[in-house]
Amino acid sequence: MTGKPFLIAAFAVVAGLLALVPQLGSEYWLGVAFIVAMWIALIQSWSLLSATTGYISLGHAVFYGIGAYVLVVSLDWMSVPYALALSGAAAGLLALVVGLPVLRVKGPYFVILTFGFAELVKNLVMLLETRLGQFSRMIFDAPSLEALYYAMLALAVIATALAAWTAQSRFGRGLAAIRENEVAAEAIGVPVTRLKLFAFVASAIIPGIVGGLLVLRTSYFAADQAFDPAVSFTIVTTAIVGGLGRVSGPLLGTLFLVILSELLWARFPQAYMMILGALLIVFILFVPQGLAGLVGRGLKR
Amino acid sequence: MFQQLLFAAVVSGALYALVALGLNLVYGSLRLLNIAHGDLVMIGAYTAFWSFTLLGISPVVSLATTTVLCAAFGFLVYVVLLKRQLGSPALAQRLEANSLIIFYGLSVILQNGASLAFSATSRGYQFLDGVHSFAGVSATGSMLLLLGVAAAITLGALAFLRFHVAGWSLLAVIERKDAAAVVGVNVERVQMISICAGFAIAGVAGVLVSMTQQITPFMGFPFTIAAFVVVIMGGLGNIAAGIAAGFVLGFVETFGVALTSATYRSILIYGIFVGVLLLRPQGLFGKAVQAR
Repeated sequence: MTGKPFLIAAFAVVAGLLALVPQLGSEYWLGVAFIVAMWIALIQSWSLLSATTGYISLGHAVFYGIGAYVLVVSLDWMSVPYALALSGAAAGLLALVVGLPVLRVKGPYFVILTFGFAELVKNLVMLLETRLGQFSRMIFDAPSLEALYYAMLALAVIATALAAWTAQSRFGRGLAAIRENEVAAEAIGVPVTRLKLFAFVASAIIPGIVGGLLVLRTSYFAADQAFDPAVSFTIVTTAIVGGLGRVSGPLLGTLFLVILSELLWARFPQAYMMILGALLIVFILFVPQGLAGLVGRGLKR
Repeated sequence: MFQQLLFAAVVSGALYALVALGLNLVYGSLRLLNIAHGDLVMIGAYTAFWSFTLLGISPVVSLATTTVLCAAFGFLVYVVLLKRQLGSPALAQRLEANSLIIFYGLSVILQNGASLAFSATSRGYQFLDGVHSFAGVSATGSMLLLLGVAAAITLGALAFLRFHVAGWSLLAVIERKDAAAVVGVNVERVQMISICAGFAIAGVAGVLVSMTQQITPFMGFPFTIAAFVVVIMGGLGNIAAGIAAGFVLGFVETFGVALTSATYRSILIYGIFVGVLLLRPQGLFGKAVQAR
């Protein structure tokens, strides 16, 4: 049951079903599907660095936020597709510039550094916006939700394909070697620094474009919301609940959390957050392989 | 004006040193990054607030009840979540890597639980708010009490580590857990007491904060961040340097904001945070303990 063709077929079916959502003609379900695709794209990208190398980034909101900011600013000068490309490029460039110093830092230090870095950038952008006399920015005549949804779905598919390719590539094996023992990996000739930097940049580009798409969806940009650290935390939570190291993990984690949030968020926001916190603890301590691991074991039986 | 700023810097420095002390204890002896640390400050603050407004109990008494309450909570967290995992080396290593995430979960539960129970309204009460003036400084009684209690606890902790044999066991566990076990230190016991003490200190800091500021269910996070900045500056696990770093942050923040403007506060704090981690991850003053 767990062969590669089966998995590819399963992913194709999921993507196909998601592609049909606009045919339902329901604004509500389209919105939900948009969010599902968004988290899948974000988490698969994050996994590219963090699940494979064990460098847990708690600052991925920074790439998402930069993407959003670049889009909203550049929309004055160019059309939407170019602006989105610029969002992704800006996020990738940011990762490239800060990658070398940041990736020298290891373990728990890396986790808190990425968080601190994201907050620093957030505050710098907020200061810049205040200086420019902008407290928030609006977008007029954004593309339709349907168009944005297809773009987001494409990103989710690309990110998932990238994760699947990485898992069985030479690149991915190098990253896994870094996770298992970085010093040993370097000693046997794995180009550790280059691989880490490449993974970091690759994991930043799609979140940048995702940030741009989300701003187009909400038609509204405010720095403190675009760089919301809750985004970083949700990425990590969902990835862990879904299961690290399996391509299906982010899909299962996202579906689970989106359903939970649709049921609870609007009516009982605090209860929802408390359940989320409890889930995180339970999964980390008792189900380290995540939902994907549970499902995998269930299928084998 | 200068004296007043100096006094403000010392007060906030003492508070930072105190909050960071608890975080450092838990990291040092258990290698766990307690991102819920600030939320214990919040618990302490609410304990003092409700004791005072509902039962008329003085915050001075709440210092004691909070110590017991938060230490008991630390014990509970240790027994329920951590003990089994810390017992086996393989699990312990994974636990260290994941501690941030576990404590993030705890933090979310505490914040939203408090928000559900007490609502998100900010609250405050008046206690010892008479102003005393001396040497060009105006200070409320509550500020002086804060300073006194924080000084007593941090100095007490330093003296304990320097002079008491149990303090040496703690230092040994912080420095090298396995070696400490070899020479007969009961590591498990030291770890359990450290987490209780760390939580209790955060609670006490919360009582002190509640006397001087408004409190909300989400007040803890800035304290967590400040404590992390302090502990990183001092070097993770380096207790004495962490206390010194608390005052450094108090001074940098107070004078930095006075010289520029309040909008630069977060940039200043996160700037120090990122700068120290990148340039001197071993801390400003010397060596951090090995992350293992």
